[in-house]
Amino acid sequence: MHLWKKETLTLTMKINFTEEQNIFRKEIRSWLELNLPKNKLQSLDTKEGFEQHREWEKTLNSGNWSMVTWPKEYGGRALNLIEWLIFEEEYYRAEAPTRVNQNGVFLLGPTLMEYGTDAQKNKFLNAMAAGDHVWAQGWSEPGAGSDMAAIRTTAVLEDGFFIINGQKTWSSRAAYADWTFGLFRTDLESERHHGLSFILAPLDLPGITVRPIPQLDGEPGFAEIYFDDVKVPVENLIGGEGEGWKIAMATAGFERGLMLRSPARFQQTAAKLLSLYLENESKCSPAIQAKIVDAWAQSESYALSIYHTASKLMDGASIGSESSLGKIFWSELDYMMHETALKILGANAELDTEDHQDAAQWIKGFMFSYAGPIYAGTNEIQKNIIAERLLGLPR
Amino acid sequence: MKFVFTEEQLQFQETMKGFLAQECSPDSIRLGWQENKPFNTKRWEAICDLGVLGANLKEEDGGLGVDQIALTLMVEEMGYVALPEPIAEQNFLVNDILKLFPEELQEAIKSKFNSGMDYIAVAHPLNPHPLFLEDSKALIMFDNTSCHFLEKGDYVSEDIKSNDPSRVLSRIHEVKSSIQSDQNFAHLNQAVVSRGALQSAALLIGLAQKMLDLSSAYVLDRKQFGKPIGSFQAVKHMLADVAVAIEFARPAIYRASYSLFDNNSKSALHCAHAKYMAVKAAELACKNSIQAHGAMGYTWEMDLHIYMRKAWSLMACWGNDDQQQNTIFNTLRSSNDEIGVLYTF
Repeated sequence: MHLWKKETLTLTMKINFTEEQNIFRKEIRSWLELNLPKNKLQSLDTKEGFEQHREWEKTLNSGNWSMVTWPKEYGGRALNLIEWLIFEEEYYRAEAPTRVNQNGVFLLGPTLMEYGTDAQKNKFLNAMAAGDHVWAQGWSEPGAGSDMAAIRTTAVLEDGFFIINGQKTWSSRAAYADWTFGLFRTDLESERHHGLSFILAPLDLPGITVRPIPQLDGEPGFAEIYFDDVKVPVENLIGGEGEGWKIAMATAGFERGLMLRSPARFQQTAAKLLSLYLENESKCSPAIQAKIVDAWAQSESYALSIYHTASKLMDGASIGSESSLGKIFWSELDYMMHETALKILGANAELDTEDHQDAAQWIKGFMFSYAGPIYAGTNEIQKNIIAERLLGLPR
Repeated sequence: MKFVFTEEQLQFQETMKGFLAQECSPDSIRLGWQENKPFNTKRWEAICDLGVLGANLKEEDGGLGVDQIALTLMVEEMGYVALPEPIAEQNFLVNDILKLFPEELQEAIKSKFNSGMDYIAVAHPLNPHPLFLEDSKALIMFDNTSCHFLEKGDYVSEDIKSNDPSRVLSRIHEVKSSIQSDQNFAHLNQAVVSRGALQSAALLIGLAQKMLDLSSAYVLDRKQFGKPIGSFQAVKHMLADVAVAIEFARPAIYRASYSLFDNNSKSALHCAHAKYMAVKAAELACKNSIQAHGAMGYTWEMDLHIYMRKAWSLMACWGNDDQQQNTIFNTLRSSNDEIGVLYTF
């Protein structure tokens, strides 16, 4: 009985970097060593810090490092996803500044690439890569959080302009950003996810009021945006009228999926956690050792999974609801690692003094790790998606 | 960097899956339990006819020349159906390390390959009770310093009962004579420990997937309050958690198989990682699956426990998560470089 295909196995699986990829890694590393800001930047959620981070985006762009996967005409290097992951690894290894324009480069950028017109790509992508336009998200509303289809902010088309009225909230980076993208109800008779459109709006238009909301760390990382008869030209519509939901889902997929959360960030945290543990080992119980192993094992698994996914994407596969699995995994992992760090630090964990800056960094990271299970669709929503779309359970 | 399977590798998996779906139904397993003969000779012969027992032997040794990666995918399918016969064990614990045995032992082992049907059991401090010893032609036994080859009659043993009726275990009381060697022992021992971890991890992830599939089907079928219980979020979220755990254990298993294939110097760490993640996923799959089945899951009648019992046994064989944790921690501790953004590959 010969069910097997009688062929010599050609082994094309290769879980190693190529020589070119190693050279590319060195190139990034040397560039970062030369160009990284000498002093640590202030928080990007302060006015000064925001501008410092914008400057950094410009510096990155001057070396064509803004988004390595983008086509060259938009400031990219036309590289593949594996090379993007290598870039991210070097970026986190160097502890380079947080990307102030991640809403732009990681979310809106890929969306424009897929749904934008040539005119829109030309207008927005280079400016985005250069940090001239820093973007804020405009999804949530007071009555539309996890239930995003409950959006009520309206955009009525009159003489080539959308007249926008309503309110957005929890808009990340909106306190200091230049532009926002989001979903607006263009068909007033419509319900739920029908009749929504994806529109871009500069935040300095007459009728827009931005009210910053201080976050857990005291800085305004997000804001409310009020629209009072704001006139936005119809050229700022992405895709067709009423196609907003479909486009937003694609954007949300980028966010949950590999674009916004490359594994390097979590591996770097796991590495720091191990060092912290080794410095404090004598004070710790064996329970902490178990957490250290968990941190390594999970961040390693996450990296392997992303490389596996990236390889499949490069082979022509597409990902859909699978990105919900990853979003739960990394956000819970991030929380667990920071919680463990605070346990190791003990009574020093709360200190924000010159001689305990490491503790101050850990507790800031800890507070931020609480946001992971909430943003980009809460983990409860992700679990519904997994159950309904991957396991086939009824709504 | 290309972390995808070849068509051939996937085809080996598909063929295995199709074959086992026919040959290893829950009913056939239950029949083995009733007759107190879980090792099904007819199924064994069918699998051997297909060439699976020697799948990863070289073609000149009568094998199919399957690599560790395709083999891992095939073993996952053996887990999925809770295959009682010890195919995965022989594939990884005997065939795959054949060339590492000292020559004398290698000859003795090879002499058992002639028929392509013979099974060799393995005992090791991490797997002290060899499986289906009565059905085996020989026993390879590791102690802490050397490796032994024992033929029938070289030892005194008794059969002992497992909580999983699909597993007949033995206890070795006395070794009368054996071919023994301590040559290359450290290397050989590490090789068998790594493969023990990897094959049990691959079986476990197949079992976890099966339990998740059974549970998803059950909660769709079972109605309460006028609707399927699978429409309630508390139930959905339990099963989604299992899906997440499986999703992130799998790449660790695949990487470990690649590491063996590639002779990676960190393969011991990678195999420990695979088993660690697989145990966590299987544990959650057992816990949440029985919960999703409610009281039905607690019955002998429901098939769930066929898979659960095998998973409970395999979690412990060749090192449970606690033991793997020690292995991982000692590696991390002795070399800080093992961790961090540059050292995954």
